[in-house]
Amino acid sequence: MALSSTLQVALHFARRDFHNRYLGSFSGGLWALLQPLLQLAVYAFVFVQIFRQRVPGADAPGYVPFLVAAMWPWTAFAESLQRGSVAIQEHAGLIGKVPVPRLALVAAPVIASFSVHGMGYAVIVLLLSLLGSGVDPLGLLVALPMMLVLMAFALGLVLLLSTLQVFVRDIASALPQLLMLWMFLSPVMYSREMAPERFRALIDANPMSAFAGIFRWALLHQPAPQTAALAWASLWLAAAVASGVFVFRRLQRHVEDFL
Amino acid sequence: MSTEILVEATGLGKSYPRVFRRSDRLRALLRLLWGHRTVDAEPVLRDVDLVVCRGQSLGLIGENGAGKSTLLKLLSGVLTPTRGRVVVRGRVGALLELGAGFHPEYTGRENIALAAALAGMTAAELAERLAQIIEFADIGRYIDEPIKHYSSGMVVRLGFALVAAQRPDLLITDEVLAVGDESFQKKCIRWMEDYLATGGTLILVSHSMYHIQKLCSRALWLREGAVEAAGEAGAVCQAYLAYHERKQAADSQPVRRGAAPAGLEFHVISLRLGNGQTGQSSSVAQGDDLRVQAELHSRDGRVPGVHVSIVRADGTPIFGINSDMDGVQPRRSEAGDFAIGLRFRRLPLLPGSYNVRVHALDPEGLRLFDTVEAPLTVAGRGRELGMISLDHVWEDALPVQQPLPQQGAAA
Repeated sequence: MALSSTLQVALHFARRDFHNRYLGSFSGGLWALLQPLLQLAVYAFVFVQIFRQRVPGADAPGYVPFLVAAMWPWTAFAESLQRGSVAIQEHAGLIGKVPVPRLALVAAPVIASFSVHGMGYAVIVLLLSLLGSGVDPLGLLVALPMMLVLMAFALGLVLLLSTLQVFVRDIASALPQLLMLWMFLSPVMYSREMAPERFRALIDANPMSAFAGIFRWALLHQPAPQTAALAWASLWLAAAVASGVFVFRRLQRHVEDFL
Repeated sequence: MSTEILVEATGLGKSYPRVFRRSDRLRALLRLLWGHRTVDAEPVLRDVDLVVCRGQSLGLIGENGAGKSTLLKLLSGVLTPTRGRVVVRGRVGALLELGAGFHPEYTGRENIALAAALAGMTAAELAERLAQIIEFADIGRYIDEPIKHYSSGMVVRLGFALVAAQRPDLLITDEVLAVGDESFQKKCIRWMEDYLATGGTLILVSHSMYHIQKLCSRALWLREGAVEAAGEAGAVCQAYLAYHERKQAADSQPVRRGAAPAGLEFHVISLRLGNGQTGQSSSVAQGDDLRVQAELHSRDGRVPGVHVSIVRADGTPIFGINSDMDGVQPRRSEAGDFAIGLRFRRLPLLPGSYNVRVHALDPEGLRLFDTVEAPLTVAGRGRELGMISLDHVWEDALPVQQPLPQQGAAA
């Protein structure tokens, strides 16, 4: 099937995914915005009120905008990985009954997560800038395209994980814990500068560091991420996409036999 | 009929991996990742070659589990072949399973949208044909209800309406149409005939030899994953039916075909069948003469009675006669045994497989002592249905004016 019609089918599945999750519930589409907002409220309460956490620096932004800038893209990323990893397995009933491009099934949850949270991101950034919390709305011009790069990263990993999940069913069960671990190891709730010196090299090797850094640089005028972090992130991105495409292409004709 | 090839399959095969333990999956994964094309696998379809040209119609027959549905899925691109290759040109409309691809939680309208996208229809094409689909499905307000509230007939209506709207070059269908009600079935058959008449191509799986012979010019018989026979629809259907009849007969009464048991008062020594020309043949053309020749033995020298019968391969009796009914008896041969012959003139049996039985009776024709059976094949290309061609004349009828397409007469 041509790529354009695969994309069309993927969009159909993404729309369906969106309908499934939000339109059936009472709060409707609002839930898409509400859920990360609630999550943000919890973190803000714990870190600002209990731990008295502040972002170091003279003209540092408030902790809430600091958290928003990196947390929202992370939520989109983590969610697309969780939902995407079971995408092929979940549609076992469809594969083997109708000719459906496997790529569309895998891409749909990634597209859905990133479009929902991408919109939420834009809304909350505009809201915060209206409230005068020092967020630059023009930063979205960098942040939103950056979301697309993060989406490509997610898609690469999802291609890999969803295919392997068909053969090894433990992946999806282990993923929530691994993602939790990854989040705490990433400078999402803290900045690189807040971590002890000896961990900084490790933090730079984490691809999320560069992403978080760029989002904060664009929206909050924080210092740009380290060159090392950018290099590592590019390497991880390339590795994720390459291995995802390789494994998916090699195995996609066999997944139907193992579902 | 043009000779543009729409479907071409060569050496087509499908195997499913043998996966019992979790470690099997892991091993399969590693092997496949390494680049091995196959793993330890159970073949369900082997070496299928077929060619379907535009305007042709092919029927697939075979027992349950013979691989018919798997073949359809390979042809329609649902499954990917393990071996061989398949090339399909043009738009394919597939109607494989009841409600396949429909999501029960979504309304008919929403399901149409996704199914259309899966079929490669653009949004503009769908917008243009949506009204037509809804009209063809004719399920009223249910179009805006979730599919889970549908009856199975409504699901088929929606599925068929979608396929009809795709205007496929090739229609691939399993036996799903049987679910719809009378009026919808008529509508489908009318559509199908119209489709075939306007040059449409059809691949159909059916257990109804009637439908296969009516809709298809050629047939392919799959048995245990391999092609058992392929060719003109009537001949393949006959072979398939005969196979079934024999299989049923093998399960029922044991009939002797070989050496005679010793010690019987009367027994049959030999049974030979022949057509009008040669003395020995198990195959007779429809309308040709059939000769049955039997030799019998009598322990005490009394003249035995003979019963000759023709049964269908499954044992259903068709005709039987005793020698004493016609006031004849076997002739004594030089060796002291008895021989008799019976000639059926212009055999009216329709093409198919039958058995001829000869029974040795006592001289009074009351007690049956021995039975010997020989297989008989009646060859022919007739399209009549049943076992026997009855003499008939149409009345109050006119010759058909327009040449009908293929075999597509009204249902």
